[in-house]
Amino acid sequence: MTDIQTHSTPIATTSYKKTNFSLNYQQRRWLGYIIRYIIAAILIVFAFVPVVWVLSASLNPSGSLVSIEVIPKNPGLGNYRGLFENQYYPYLTWLRNSFVVASVSTLLSVSSTTVSAYGLSRFRFYGRKTLMRAILIISIFPAALSIIALYTTFQQVGNHIGILGLDSHASLILIYASGALSINVFLVKGYIDSIPLEIEESALVDGATHAQIFRMITLPLAKPILITISVLTFMAIYGDFVLPRILMQSSDKYTVMVGLYLFQSADYAQNWGVFTAGAVIAALPILGLYMLLQRYIIGGLTAGAVKL
Amino acid sequence: MNKKNAFPVTPSTIIRLALVGVFDVAVLSLIRQLLDDGNYPLSGILGVVIVIITLCFSLENLRYYRWLGVSLAATTLFVLYPILYTIYLSTTNAGYGHILTKQEAVEFLESQQYVPESGQQYKWTAYRSLESTNDYVLWLQAEDDTTFLTGIGTATKPASIGEDGIGSADDKGIPTSIQGYQRLEKRDTVAMIDQLGELEFGVAPDIIRITSLTVAATTQQRYQYDSDSDTLTDAETGLAYHPEEGVFTTDDGQELPPGFRVGVGLDNFERFFSSSALRGPLVRIISWNFAYAILSVLCSFALGLFIAVLFETLPGRQIIRALLIIPYPIPALVSILIWRNLLNPDFGALVSLQNSVFGTAPNWLTDPKWTRIAIIIINMWLSYPYFYIVSSGALQAIPTDMMDAAAVDGANAWQRFSRITLPLLLKIVSPLLVASFAFNFNNFNLIYIFNQGNPPIAGSPIPAGHTDILISFVYRLAFNSAISDYGLGASISIVLFLFIAAITWGQFRYTRVLEDQTV
Repeated sequence: MTDIQTHSTPIATTSYKKTNFSLNYQQRRWLGYIIRYIIAAILIVFAFVPVVWVLSASLNPSGSLVSIEVIPKNPGLGNYRGLFENQYYPYLTWLRNSFVVASVSTLLSVSSTTVSAYGLSRFRFYGRKTLMRAILIISIFPAALSIIALYTTFQQVGNHIGILGLDSHASLILIYASGALSINVFLVKGYIDSIPLEIEESALVDGATHAQIFRMITLPLAKPILITISVLTFMAIYGDFVLPRILMQSSDKYTVMVGLYLFQSADYAQNWGVFTAGAVIAALPILGLYMLLQRYIIGGLTAGAVKL
Repeated sequence: MNKKNAFPVTPSTIIRLALVGVFDVAVLSLIRQLLDDGNYPLSGILGVVIVIITLCFSLENLRYYRWLGVSLAATTLFVLYPILYTIYLSTTNAGYGHILTKQEAVEFLESQQYVPESGQQYKWTAYRSLESTNDYVLWLQAEDDTTFLTGIGTATKPASIGEDGIGSADDKGIPTSIQGYQRLEKRDTVAMIDQLGELEFGVAPDIIRITSLTVAATTQQRYQYDSDSDTLTDAETGLAYHPEEGVFTTDDGQELPPGFRVGVGLDNFERFFSSSALRGPLVRIISWNFAYAILSVLCSFALGLFIAVLFETLPGRQIIRALLIIPYPIPALVSILIWRNLLNPDFGALVSLQNSVFGTAPNWLTDPKWTRIAIIIINMWLSYPYFYIVSSGALQAIPTDMMDAAAVDGANAWQRFSRITLPLLLKIVSPLLVASFAFNFNNFNLIYIFNQGNPPIAGSPIPAGHTDILISFVYRLAFNSAISDYGLGASISIVLFLFIAAITWGQFRYTRVLEDQTV
């Protein structure tokens, strides 16, 4: 910044106004717009190639693999019908599994995140700072690194409690839900920190317990951040592949992501159109969620950027 | 506690303590069973969980910890324990042939039966109970043509056609029915032979087992383990086995599978850092791992920032923004699979497009160089929207008066961007760049889903691919049934963790997150 301030003003101003083009200011602005629109168009094509292509392939009844025509000749929903009527691949079951696992996990995870964040924000107790640092360190251990340990652990526990073994959604949910003490807890804690204490103090004076204050004052006020982390958590769990791939073993336990993966690796040529239909349906719920709650998602991402 | 602190015993206190009690009892019973297995690590951590829950929810001094109790217990069990267990595995030889604990291996061997020379052999026919699918009786024909009937847990008794409850004989002299039971047809028998083989008929010591499709025999336990001398004795051959490097071995070197896990100290780490057989593929994997993570972050960030800056003031930017963000909400797996198919050499749409335009197309899935380029491009596609969103947010956080001042002072657009915007923006987003690097460094999904780390590195002593990163290599090590080297896989996981932890810790220190976030 000091560099710029030392520029001698008169000379700089003249060089700013001098132009080598024979275009006036207005024309140059329009040229700039046009160039930028062209770049935008190229980028939009880049962004949309896979999307358009998968949509068109899913509507293409011929299931032709090399087809590069954007609009199929006889568009139809045959691939979608094939998807739901496929007797070897229980697509609807996979979809339901994904929803059950992601919803329950998100609910549990966001609940315990919020409760923990409230505790960390509102109370001062011995070991609090150490605990928060420990959470920060532990939360960077990527789940992918613990796959071997998780696999053997659930194998062992499953010998005694079947529902907490391999091939059980309960195991998957427990792992996801216990990821609660992660970076999310700091997002929520930061938000609760910013809620003025006065409201809660007056409630305390009126004889409310902390549990009541949490339920009736903090929760409603923290709604925006809760929506943000709920959506982000749901999207992450719905889209997860590694854990269900390793822990789930029978076809009717797969989540839709694992199912789709096996779908296309199994019998390429024949499953072709059906796979694209499956891909479209699997992406739709998340796209819908995103469209609905875009404000919260983008808000959450930028908050993370600016605050961290 | 309540008495001492003179706190009133409210119904909610009672309910809380009752729930803690129920939880403790349930977990304790699980711990007991795990201890019977000899599973001390898991029992230990469950003990810690019990202590956390019980203390947090019963001590009045720790009442603030109640807000955190459940999360802490869950984190201990499913986040901390896997870390500790990975550390433990990394110091063992766990893997193919050494999956079981010693106790499990002994139990397995002790369950092995053999037919002693004095043992009777019979031809058998099975009958299934009409009431229970787990209850069977056997009709046995000895070599001298005497016949017996035996059931699970009931003594073997001589029996013959025409006795009570035994139906008429077929052409081979075998009863067609037994009262309360239905004869198994030949094809059912074949299908169920494994199940049937596990059943024990008669009463000890004359246990009769089905040993093949036609033969049943009185059997005896083959191996006896003596824990005092740590010796396993084979009753059939009389050989004595001692445990040696995780497998029971005779003095002259005969090994008896299955082996079991034993500690090997830091051998796995030594192999990782200095084994000459592993060095070739590992050097390739690690250098690609770094190149991939750095290039992914830089390219995606550059593109995201470029878009954010270029369209910041463009009319209609809301629409452009909405369209350009489209890759973000699509689940990554779906996108990666679509890209994989677009680039498929046989029928990928992009490949045929390239062929028709350029007359040739690179082999995106089998040529190492082009596979790597494809991975970087796909990762750009996947993550530029994130950096676009983040950069747009950060751009708005940069005060405009500084830009105006610079413009008045005569700085041109490029100078304003490179001297003011970029440094300020980098300061804001650098933690995200580091986090993104750490994420991509272990981005198993992209590597595995796109091409499973392939194309393979020819001549590698352990299967490895040109696009494998360390974590996908760990996956190969652990879940490829031909290798299943959990020990080496776990030790690589630990090295990866330490690396990521060091980076993140440095970043926390640098950006003072530790101080700011943990106020």
